[in-house]
This record gives sequence, C-alpha cells and structure tokens, in this order.
Amino acid sequence: MLARVANNLFWMGRYIERSEHIARYMHVNYFSSLDAPHEISRSRPFVLNSMLRMAGQPPGQDEEELTEEKVLFKLALDPSNPFSIISNVRYTRENANSARDLISTELYESINKFYHFVLKYPADHYIKKGLYDFSVNIIEMSSILRGRIRSTLLHDEVYAIILLGVNLERANQLIRMIDAKYQDAKEARASYGDTFSKSFEWTTLLKCMESYDMMRRHYKKTPTSLTTLEFLILNPNCPRSLMNCLNQIYMHIRVLDNSFRYNKNSTAFLVGRVRSEYQYKYIEEIEGNIQQFIDGMLRNLADIGTKMENEFFHY
Amino acid sequence: MSLEYKITYHAENQYENPVKEARWQFLIIPHEEEGQKVTATHFENSLDFPYEESTNAYGFRTLRILAKSEFERIEFKASFTVLKTAVNPFDFDLPLDPPEDLKRYQTLDFKVEHEPFLRKTPLTTLLEEHAKFFEYRGDKTVFENLVDLNQWVYEKIFYTPGVTHVNTTLDEIVENRHGVCQDFAHLFAAVARQFGIPCRYVSGYLHQGNGYFGDSQMHAWTEAYLLDVGWVGFDPTNNILASENHIKVAHGKDYSDCAPLKGILYSRGGNTTSHSVQVLGQQQQ
Amino acid sequence: MASQENTIFSSYQRDPSLFDELYDDKGEVKRIYKTLFNLYGAHSIEDYMRLNEKAKSSFFNQGITFQVYGDKDTQEKIFPFDLFPRIIDPEEWEVIEKGAIQRSRALNLFLWDIYHEKKILKQGIVPLELISSSENYLHQMMDVDPPGGIYNHISGTDIIKHKDGKYYVLEDNIRCPSGVSYVISNRTALKRALFGVFNHYEAHTVTNYAENLLDLLETVKPKGVDSPNTVVITPGMYNSAFYEHSYLAKTMGVELVEGRDLYVENDFVYMRTIKGPEKVDIIYRRIDDQFMDPLEFRADSALGVPGLFTAYKKGNVTLANAPGTGVADDKAVYTYMPEIIKYYLDETPILNNVHTYHCSRPEELAYVMDHIPELVVKPVDEAGGYGISIGNKLTKEEIETVKKQIKSNPRKYVAQPIMSLSVHPTYIDETNSFEQRHVDLRTFTILGKEREFVLKGGLTRVALRRGNLVVNSSQGGGSKDTWVLKQ
Repeated sequence: MLARVANNLFWMGRYIERSEHIARYMHVNYFSSLDAPHEISRSRPFVLNSMLRMAGQPPGQDEEELTEEKVLFKLALDPSNPFSIISNVRYTRENANSARDLISTELYESINKFYHFVLKYPADHYIKKGLYDFSVNIIEMSSILRGRIRSTLLHDEVYAIILLGVNLERANQLIRMIDAKYQDAKEARASYGDTFSKSFEWTTLLKCMESYDMMRRHYKKTPTSLTTLEFLILNPNCPRSLMNCLNQIYMHIRVLDNSFRYNKNSTAFLVGRVRSEYQYKYIEEIEGNIQQFIDGMLRNLADIGTKMENEFFHY
Repeated sequence: MSLEYKITYHAENQYENPVKEARWQFLIIPHEEEGQKVTATHFENSLDFPYEESTNAYGFRTLRILAKSEFERIEFKASFTVLKTAVNPFDFDLPLDPPEDLKRYQTLDFKVEHEPFLRKTPLTTLLEEHAKFFEYRGDKTVFENLVDLNQWVYEKIFYTPGVTHVNTTLDEIVENRHGVCQDFAHLFAAVARQFGIPCRYVSGYLHQGNGYFGDSQMHAWTEAYLLDVGWVGFDPTNNILASENHIKVAHGKDYSDCAPLKGILYSRGGNTTSHSVQVLGQQQQ
Repeated sequence: MASQENTIFSSYQRDPSLFDELYDDKGEVKRIYKTLFNLYGAHSIEDYMRLNEKAKSSFFNQGITFQVYGDKDTQEKIFPFDLFPRIIDPEEWEVIEKGAIQRSRALNLFLWDIYHEKKILKQGIVPLELISSSENYLHQMMDVDPPGGIYNHISGTDIIKHKDGKYYVLEDNIRCPSGVSYVISNRTALKRALFGVFNHYEAHTVTNYAENLLDLLETVKPKGVDSPNTVVITPGMYNSAFYEHSYLAKTMGVELVEGRDLYVENDFVYMRTIKGPEKVDIIYRRIDDQFMDPLEFRADSALGVPGLFTAYKKGNVTLANAPGTGVADDKAVYTYMPEIIKYYLDETPILNNVHTYHCSRPEELAYVMDHIPELVVKPVDEAGGYGISIGNKLTKEEIETVKKQIKSNPRKYVAQPIMSLSVHPTYIDETNSFEQRHVDLRTFTILGKEREFVLKGGLTRVALRRGNLVVNSSQGGGSKDTWVLKQ
C-alpha cells in the first residue's frame, strides 16, 4: 500500500470518529442539561462552553459569542471552522476519495451519502429545532460507516490502518471528554455527600460515550467518579474504554509490523508499553490525580501518532 | 600535441526556508568525443548526500542527487581532468559552387533528417525583421556565410552579464543589444536555422587563458552542420571557431536542453544560487 | 400493451431532415429497436420520471461526478445519463471494430516511423511542417524503442453517423482518452433501473475492459521482468477524470499513484509504500507529456516524477501511452489518415474520414474564407470541444471574428463540412418527454504486442441542448448506454 494513501486512510478513520464524537457530545450534553439537577449544569454558558472545550475550541469570551445558535452552528455546520462536523465529514470524504481504488464501493457510497446529507442539511432548521435530528443522523451514519468498514473490506492492511485511525481517535476523544466532564464536575457538584464524586456530570459522561447502559449493567449502582472512570478507562470489555482502544490499536499495529524483534523505536513497542501499563492499573492511582492522567495520556496518544507517521507514512 | 585541463565547478544554494526533499540534476560532465577525453572526475557535496550517474533524454551524462533530510544550505563541488587534442578548425575544403552548396540543404530528405536542429524553439525564435539584418550572400559558401554570421552576432550584442535572464526573448536582446554567451548562441542558432542550416546549442567550459569572453561561468556556443564535413563549432561570443579551448559538455536545441543544474524542491520561499567555474590548462608533452 | 396515446413516445416529434437511429429508411421503427420501443412505450411518463430520478441519484451517491472549471470555483456535477440505450447491430459493429483497429495500427506504425526512419516525411506524403510545428513531436523520443513497439496502447476513436447513414471518424484521441468508466457505469445504472429489458436482448458485456487493459499492458512489459508491477498515475483527486482513474486502478487491482508516490533511483522507478520502496514496471499514464518529468519537460510540474523519462528511455519502465504519441492526435494529422492507412497497411480506410480543408494551404484557405457558414472551423490543438466555431450558427460579426482568427494564424485551423450527426430519442428533463438529440460514439481500442482489443460498446455521447452538435461533457453533453448486440 502506498504510504500517502495509508496516511489518508488513517485520517479517514480519525475524521469519521471525530465527527461522531462531536455530534454525540453536543447531543447528550444539550439534552441532559435541560432537566439537570444542578443549576450550573442547566446554565447555557456552562453547557455551551463545555461543548466548545471538548471540540478543541477556546471558551466563548462574552455573551455575544455564547449564544446557543452561534455555538451550535459553529460546531456543526460552519464550513469555515476546521473543527466543525461538516469540515470533518468533508475531510473524511476527501481522504476516502484519494483512496477510492482501495476501499469498497459500498463504503465509498456510504461516505458519499453521509457527505451529501451534511452538505444539504438546512442550517436555519438545524439551529432552531434540528439538533436532535441532525446529531442522531450523524451518529447513525457513522455507525453505518463502521459497519461498512468491518463488513465490506478485506481484513488486511487497509482495514488495520483505518481501524488504527478510528481507535486512536476514539481514545483521544474519550480523554478529551473525561477532561471536559472532569472540569464540569468540579463546578457542578452534587448536592450532598461527596459532591464531586456524585456529580450528575459522570452520568452525562457515560452517555456521551454511549456507555451508560453497559455501565449500569456492570455495576448496578449510580455512577460515581470512581466507577465511571474505572469503567471508561480500565475495563477492557467496554467497547468504548481506553483499555479496549489500546488493545485494538495493539492488535492492528501488529498487522503492519508483525516482527517480534526487540525494537524500542517501533510504534508497536510504544503501543505495547502504554497498553501494558494500563492493563495492570488500579483506578485509585488514576483518580487521585486525574489531570496528570489526562495530560499524560494525551501525550502518549500524540506520540503514537507521530511514531506511526514516521514509520509508515513518511515518504 | 595535447592539452590537459583541470576544471572545477562550484555551486552553492541557500534556501530561505528549510528544504524537506530535493532532487538535483547536474549536466556538467565533459562529453567524451573525438579529441576530448575525460581522465578523472570527482564530485562531492557539503551534506554528503549520495549521488548517482544517469543520462539526460539526449544521452549526455548527468549526475543526480536525492536529498531526503532537512537543510537550508548546500554546496556542490565537481572537478574533471580533460585531455584535448589541438585541432585546426579550418582543416577542410570549401565547396566550389556556393549556390549548389546551399541547394543541398534544401532537399526534403535533408530537412527531415535534421528536423530537430532546424526547429524554432521559444528561445530561438526571432521576428523576421530582426533576422533580416543579417544578409545571407548567395555568392559565398554556407561555411563562409556562417563565419560572417559569427562576426555579425559578435558585433550585434555587447557582452554584458546580468541584464538578461532565461526568459528574455531573443527579440528583446536584439533590440537592447546586451547579453551573455547563451544569448549570442541563441541568436546565432536562430538566424542559421532560418536559412535552413541545422544548428545546435552547445554548453561547456572555455579555457580563458587567451583573454576570451565567457567569465567564470559555464560557456555556451553553437555547432552548425556542414555537408561533407559534419558539425562545426562557432563561438559567436568571441567571434572564433570552437577549438581546443572549448570543452563541450552537451548539446541541444537551446539552453533548456542543456541547463547545467536543474532542481526539484519541496520547499517554499526563495533561494539564492551562486556558481563558479575555473578552467586551468597546461600543455602536455 | 398501453395505447400509444399516453406513453412516453406519444409526443415524439421527428424532424425529417435528420437521420434518426430509431427508424429505418421506410420510416418504420428498426427491427433491433422494436422490442425496446414497445417495452419503453409501456411506461407512463410518471413511471419514467421516477426511474430517471433514481438513476440520477444513483450516480450522485456513487460519486460518479466530474468537475467543471468555472470562473470562480469548480463544481461537482453528474454526467447526465439517458435511460434509453443506443443499439448497434452486429454487422455495423463489425465494421466499426475493424475500422478502429485499422486506424490504431496505422497510427502506431506512423508514430514508429516519424520517431525513427521518417520515411513518410521524406517521401512527402505527410508534410514535414505539419509534424515539426507540433509541440507534441518530442525530440526526446527520437530513436527510442517503446517496449513491444507500441506507442498508442489506448485509443479513443470518435465516430458519428452522418445523414447519409454512413459512419465517419471525427477524431482519433491517443493522448489520454477518457470516458471508458462511464461506459461501464452507464451499463450498471441502466441495469439497476430497467433490468427487465435485458431479458429481451443479448448485448455484449462492457465490464471486461479493465482485465483486457491489464492483460494487454502486460504484453509490453519491460525486458527481463517476469511478473510486472503495474500502476495508474493520476494528476490527483481534483482532476476532472479522477473517478475514472480510481475506477481503472480498482478494477485492474493495481495501485493508483500520484507523481509524489514515485521516485527514480539508478534509472528504475519505485513507489513509496508503507513497507518501503517497491519497483514499478508499467505505468498507465493519465498525465500529459509536458508534466511527466520535471527534469526533461516542464520544470514547474509538481505532478511528474523526476527522472522518469530516462528510466523509460533505458527500457526500465513501460509508459502507456508512450510519450510523444500526442503528435498523431493532432487534428491536422487526422486529415492525412487515408494516406497514412494506405502507406503503412496498403489498405483502404474502413471508416470514412471527414473531408478537411487545411487553412495552411493558400487555395484551401481561400475556400474556407468564402464558405464559413457551411463549415466547422476547429483549432488543430485544442481538446474538449473548446474553440470550435460552427458556421451556420454564427452571426455576421462572429463570422468576421473567426476569419480574423484564421488569418492571424492559418496553421492553427482546419475546417470541415458541417456533418449532420444522427439523432436518437433522448429523455429531456425540462419537457418530460423524448426528443431527438444528436449523438456520437467514442470507441476504445487497446493495442498490445501482436494483440488488440476493442471494447464492444462505447460511449454514446448526447448533445443535450436542442440542435447542439458538440457532445463533450464539459460542454453540456450527456451519455447513453450503448449495446452491441450479439450475432
């Protein structure tokens, strides 16, 4: 496979995942904030800033910038914002275009449909009453793309590269959401007991990762900071957890590099190292210093990306 | 009698922004031909990038470098030792019947055979009125006319470095009357081709021991095709025939076939290049 | 069977001065079209509109689109597709196929000759000036032997039927003829929309193009290579024909590369893969000569591969089509095709040439100047239908402008009698009915070493604007599926 095309497929995977997470975060936060128990959780600037932060944007400076319509538009349909959903979907398609000969017709058609759906979505409808419909569609279409990737591509290098992109991005988005919700939970504390640990924001976080139902089944208790983080970071059986992403990344990097020769400079070595560290971690070690974990993990993920680039995409 | 020349070519490129990847092609190795033999070549660059030898589309030897790490400045140095046999460029008989002589250049067979070197290229295109200033005399042989043309070009342009560049048109040069050896050679070729005489642009080195024009850069002259004789070199910059002082590297239709250095860069921003050439000669026993 | 009153053909109007492909000379629907005519006639307009919309969205979702270069930005458009196929009977097809092969073979011999012995020029059969003034006549290609002796591996021959019922060739496209992917996607779209009609006809398949292309390219692999590595090179995804490039790479099962994916080392070509360099032996080239190698051609080309030409010249890589092939693509060379066929093959042309007036010849120039309203004036070196003036559509002022243009550079123009392209029923969106529209046919011929292949089918292009004769997609043309019937 051409190095340039591999790079494009990797990014295609990342952009698919990125657009979905932005949509889901907006969706979950907006709708759960409407009847949130805490006053702060219900306040518009709080919710809107949380969305901006998660999408990698600076918080709004004043009321003018923080109007609901402006923020919703900026994050979803603003073509001039490179972080918006529409930009992400456009990049997805551009990357798919350049690798069109390698991906299946079915996958390409779904990406193309997805693109035209976003492109044609009426912005004025969306900002006034279309958030639910729009975000649900984005989430569903991304799932279709993942289904197409899994079921219409040969599970070879092409597939491994796309899934490396998907999982690396998912891990990244997860950490960003933990970051955003960690900040929110510090502000919007629960009304009794350990106010931070019992904040409503942990439930929101689980919903943002589509993991609320799974988590309730597993713990059969109201989510706390500890159980939520344990589930989302360390539980390998949760398909959205960091541990699961790291396992996937490790599995797929092995398709590209199956040598077991000791090579401490390889991407596979670094992935294996990070994975092993978290495989045997207690959540208490993390919960004690969440900020340090967040910063460290973001750095790890960035390093993996850079290493991949140098090892496989550098041409 | 033979002469030995030591030629040094030096180029230095400085880039405004770091270059990520680059490929250069040098067309600077003296050509192996009758009376000219290359006995030693040496090539190096300041960053120790590996180089390979190849040929250009016309079969002349090239040196290529592929650079894959970042840099902002690079120096190239090449040196060649060349052995030349002294020749008398006038050593052939002139045809006796000048009009018949020219007619033989006008047969279809001849024109087809020499088509590439009769072509008007963008660098050897001249408005008709400008070419008319030189008068072809029917009572003289083709060779004699070319000698006249050599002198005409020599007198037409004042040798002035720095006023013309690769994109200056020949008509501008004729009007402004200033230029360098490339311009002299292009003008000569343009006029000769207009009279149906095949002419090629030659790039090479000039030994300046005799006070010839050509500064310390690569030199350019021409070769015209004479029936019964072959290709004969004319150096209009100095109004002489090419001799043992001319060390040929390559020929082509014009400069663009013979550019000594071509670079393909993956970078943004400007760059500055400086070249210099030194030719030292010494008589051999 | 529905009555003719309410069907899609009830309002079909025939202009008696035009040659309609649907009807024979007695004015009856032709035998080969009869079944189709009845099947389509059974649909109501509403049915048909629905099918038409479906077919359109199928193209759009598949991303089978092209870009139109506008003043401001480029737009993504679908290539308008017509659901009523064009049918060619086996006897007529045989003539077309033989004629296309004959032309491709003759052009190949012509190219070999003008890059080697140049006999046809020395004998004055084709004027030297015609060739030497062409910027596509590459000095770099002199005495280069292309692998297998093939220059024009892929030719696209544009053929029309005149009102006399005979086929004429309008152009031989041998630089980088495009359109073959549309032949295949048209067939797919028609099958999806109206699968039933295929039960009544036996049409040749068109999906075997890519496998034949790969097979024939492999017959001209470089010497000493056992299992060649073939790639398709594209200028990139913003090129108007990118869909086709990716389609061909995908169906041939080979890599689609850009110039930056390749590099040359020691005169061999390599591509940069995730596992390091991999040698490349055959390149199906969809970039023009001038952009192919910045060391030999345009130095500002970012699309090419530095050093590619020398690798080719040394026989280490096959380029298809060969560099310098474009010289025979020139409209002025076209006019000598009967002579070229006679000279190299000692045969008479199977397909007619349109008579051509050369503005470079004084007596013909005079005729052209006096007869502009009856002629089509074309620049000899423009592709895509640009710069064509159709005499009977020009105002007085426009005629004067055209005359001035010709006069300023006669060599640049040729003129031909206005050919009356045959018409074919075509569904028109604006009126929701079938109307007569002009059509042509582009056939695709592949030459290999001692083997050739003609795609049984082709791209029937339709001039969608009423009365328009120019069928290029960039000039508002559409296309039809084309069936070549089995014996």
